[in-house]
Amino acid sequence: MTDRGISRREFAKSAVAIGGTAALAACLDRGTPDVPEGTDDIASLPARQHAWNDALATDDAGNPRMARHHVLLLLDYERDGRPTDGDRRQVEDALSTLEQAYEWSNDGLLFTLGYGPTYFDRFEANPAGVDVPEPKALAPFEDPEPDTPDALLHLASDHESVVLAAEEALKGTRKTVNDHEMSTTFEGVLSVADRRTGFVGTGLPAEKQDVDGIPDSEPVPEEAPLFMGFKSGFKGNQATEDRVTVDAGPFAGGATQHLSFIRLHLQQWYEQDSREQRVSKMFCPAHADEGKVEGVGENLGTDSAIEECPEDAVESGRREGVVGHSQKLSRAREDDSPTILRRDFDSTDGGEAGLHFLSLQQSIEDFVATREAMNGTDVAENSAVGQRTNNGILQYMTVERRGNYLLPPRNLRALPPADPA
Amino acid sequence: MNRRRFLASTGLAGASLVAGCGSFQSQSTRSPPLVENRPDATYRPTHVEGMGMAGMAQAGDYMVGLGYSFPHRFWTVTGTDTERVDIRDADSIHLMATVWDPETEMVLPISAGVAITIERDGETVDEKSPWPMISQSMGFHYGDNYELDGDGLYTVRVRVNAVSDRRLGAFAGRFDDAAETSVEFDFAQSALDELSYEAFSETQGERGAVDLMEMSMRPVSQTPVADELPGTLLGTKKGSDGVYAATWLSEADFLADGESYLAVSVRTPYNRVPLPMMSLDGTVETGGETVFDDALGAALHPDLGYHYGAVVETAESDPSVGVDVVAPSQTSRHEGYETAFLATPSFSF
Repeated sequence: MTDRGISRREFAKSAVAIGGTAALAACLDRGTPDVPEGTDDIASLPARQHAWNDALATDDAGNPRMARHHVLLLLDYERDGRPTDGDRRQVEDALSTLEQAYEWSNDGLLFTLGYGPTYFDRFEANPAGVDVPEPKALAPFEDPEPDTPDALLHLASDHESVVLAAEEALKGTRKTVNDHEMSTTFEGVLSVADRRTGFVGTGLPAEKQDVDGIPDSEPVPEEAPLFMGFKSGFKGNQATEDRVTVDAGPFAGGATQHLSFIRLHLQQWYEQDSREQRVSKMFCPAHADEGKVEGVGENLGTDSAIEECPEDAVESGRREGVVGHSQKLSRAREDDSPTILRRDFDSTDGGEAGLHFLSLQQSIEDFVATREAMNGTDVAENSAVGQRTNNGILQYMTVERRGNYLLPPRNLRALPPADPA
Repeated sequence: MNRRRFLASTGLAGASLVAGCGSFQSQSTRSPPLVENRPDATYRPTHVEGMGMAGMAQAGDYMVGLGYSFPHRFWTVTGTDTERVDIRDADSIHLMATVWDPETEMVLPISAGVAITIERDGETVDEKSPWPMISQSMGFHYGDNYELDGDGLYTVRVRVNAVSDRRLGAFAGRFDDAAETSVEFDFAQSALDELSYEAFSETQGERGAVDLMEMSMRPVSQTPVADELPGTLLGTKKGSDGVYAATWLSEADFLADGESYLAVSVRTPYNRVPLPMMSLDGTVETGGETVFDDALGAALHPDLGYHYGAVVETAESDPSVGVDVVAPSQTSRHEGYETAFLATPSFSF
C-alpha cells in the first residue's frame, strides 16, 4: 500500500493510468530504472518534434517499435490573449530540462507539444501555411465530442516512471527528473484540462485486459501489442516522417496531429468471430483463406502484404461479403505509400478498453481521406457488406472524441505565434 | 452453476435433463441439440420461444422496439460461410431491437445498424452493436445475447444510425439522421422464465418455417406479397431457398421521362422476411439491346419495401431481366435459417 491507498493489485494494472505522485512513488519503490541522460546541446536534437523513428528501438523485423507507455496532457494556456515572451521562455525552459534529463529515445523520453484551433483563436488568425480545422465527425455513424484544449502534450517512454516523473515535474509537484533539477515548470502558464494514458507493446494489453469492453475470458493473446490481438504499425503501412512534415511556410518542419479516443467493444470480436473472420476483417479475406497471418502477425515482417489482397476493395467486398480494414486503408495511399504516421496506443482510462488513435500527417486532410477510406461507405453501397457489419473493424469501435493540432518544429514549440514570420 | 442458469435449465415442463451432470450447465434445454442433417434450406427449428417486450420509444424519425427472450445460439455470416455463436454462461437474455417507420409501420433494415448500451445505476452493464439478424418468428431485427446483473431496473440506450441506402418515393429525404433514445427495462428472471417455449420434436428439421409472431406493440417485418408489388411483376423465382420477385416500374414519382425502375424484392419463403445486405448484379435487355448492366443497390420505398433496384434508361415496358447474386445476405441467422440463402444463384425474368 502507498500513502494514497493504492493497492498493489490495482497498481500493477495501472500506475500510469492512476498517475500522480503516489503512483510514481510506488512505481519507483519497485525499482528505479537506469535511464540514460539527455543533452545540453539542443542543436544536437532533431529540428522536428515528431522525429522519433531514429530514436525508437526496432523490432526483429526492423519496424520502429513505439515506446511502451504514454501520457497525453490536454493543456489550457492560463493567460487570456496572446502569450508573453516570459511564458514562452518558461515553457521552453521546462521542456529543455526534460531533454537534459532524459535521452531522446524510447529508453529515455520522447515528447511533442502541439496546439489546437482554440489556441490560435487568440491571434484571430489561422496558423500560417497550415490548416488546423476544428474537429468534426468523420463518419455518418459517429458522433464524437470535440476536444478543444489549447495544447496537447504527448509523453512517451518505455519506463512508466519516466512518463509519470516528467508529468509531475511539469506540473510542479516534483523538483527533479532523472537527478536533474527542474529549472522551471508549466505552473501558472499551462494547466491540465484532461489527462489520458495508454500503452502499446507485447504483453501489456494481455496484462491490462480486465476492463469493460473485453470479455472475462481474457482472450487477448500474451504476444499481442494491442487489444485487438494483431500487430500494427508495420513500416510499410506507415507514412515516413518526411511525408508527414509540413514542407513550406513558417511552420516548415512541423506536422499536423490528430487525436481521437476510440472505445473498443471486443466481446463479439473474440467470442463470436472465428480467427478466420478476424483476419478477414482486420486484413482481408484473401489473407484468411491463405492462412497468411500467424499469431499476432509477427510473421508478416515489415508490411501487412496488402498487395496480396484484391486491390479493388469495392468489387472484392461485393463478391466476398466482407472487406478488410487494411484492404480499405490501402486505398488512401499516394505513390503507393500511406499518408499518415500512426502513433496510437491502447488505453484502460475509465476502466474501459480504448484506443488513443494519434496520427501525424502533413495535412489534416490526409487524415480525413484515410478515415474516409476506412469508413468503407463506398464498399457498403450496392454491396452485401454492411456499413459496419463485415466492414473492417467498424463493428467493434465507437469514436468518442476527436481533436486536431499543429505540432510546430522544435524551435517554435513554446506558445508559438500564429504567423512566426 | 449459478442460479440464473439453473432456473433456465429446469423451469420447463417436459424439458429433458438427461444429458448428465457434466453437460447440465452448457446444454440448457433452451438450446437442445441441433437437428441432424439440416437441409440447405429454411427448416423448422428445434423449438421456438416467446418474447417479452422490454419497451419501446421514438428516436427521431424512427420507432424502436426492444424485445427479449432467452439467450439464443445464432450464426453470423461472412461471405458464404456461417459461424455459430454459442450461448455463454454469462449471457442473460437475447435482446432484439426492431426499428420501424412510425408512419408506414415498415420495419427498416439500416446498413449502419444500431448500438445498444445497457446501464444500471449509471454504470455500463453491457454494450455492443447487435447484429442485423433474421428469425422465423421475429423477422428482421438487430439481435445479440447480452449480460445483465440480476433482477432490477435497467436503462437500455439505443442509437439508431442514419440510413445510407437509397430512399425512394415518400421515403426520399427521410431517415437522414442518426437518433438516440432510451428505454427503462424492468427485468425479472421470473418473467423471462415464464416466456413460452414450444419444442417441435416431431417436425424439427422439416422444410418449413414457424409463423411470424404478431405483436400489437410492433409491426412485423414482411415484404409485400409479390402480386401486390407496384409495377408489372416480371416473375418470382427461387434460388438457394430465397424468393426473388422482380417488378418493373414504368411510372413512379421518382422517375423522370424515359426512365424505368427495376426492383428485385428478395425474401424468405413462407414468411416473406426481407433478406437485406446482399450484392446483386442486374442486366436489362429491351428489343435485343442491353440497356442496363450494373449493380442493383439496396433501397427503401413505402410500397416496394426493402429491395434491390436501379433506374434504367428506357421507356420500354417488356424487358428481359437477368439477376446475379454476387454475395448472399450477410445478416446473422436464428436457427432454421442458417443453412438457407447462402449460395449465389442467377435468374432470368
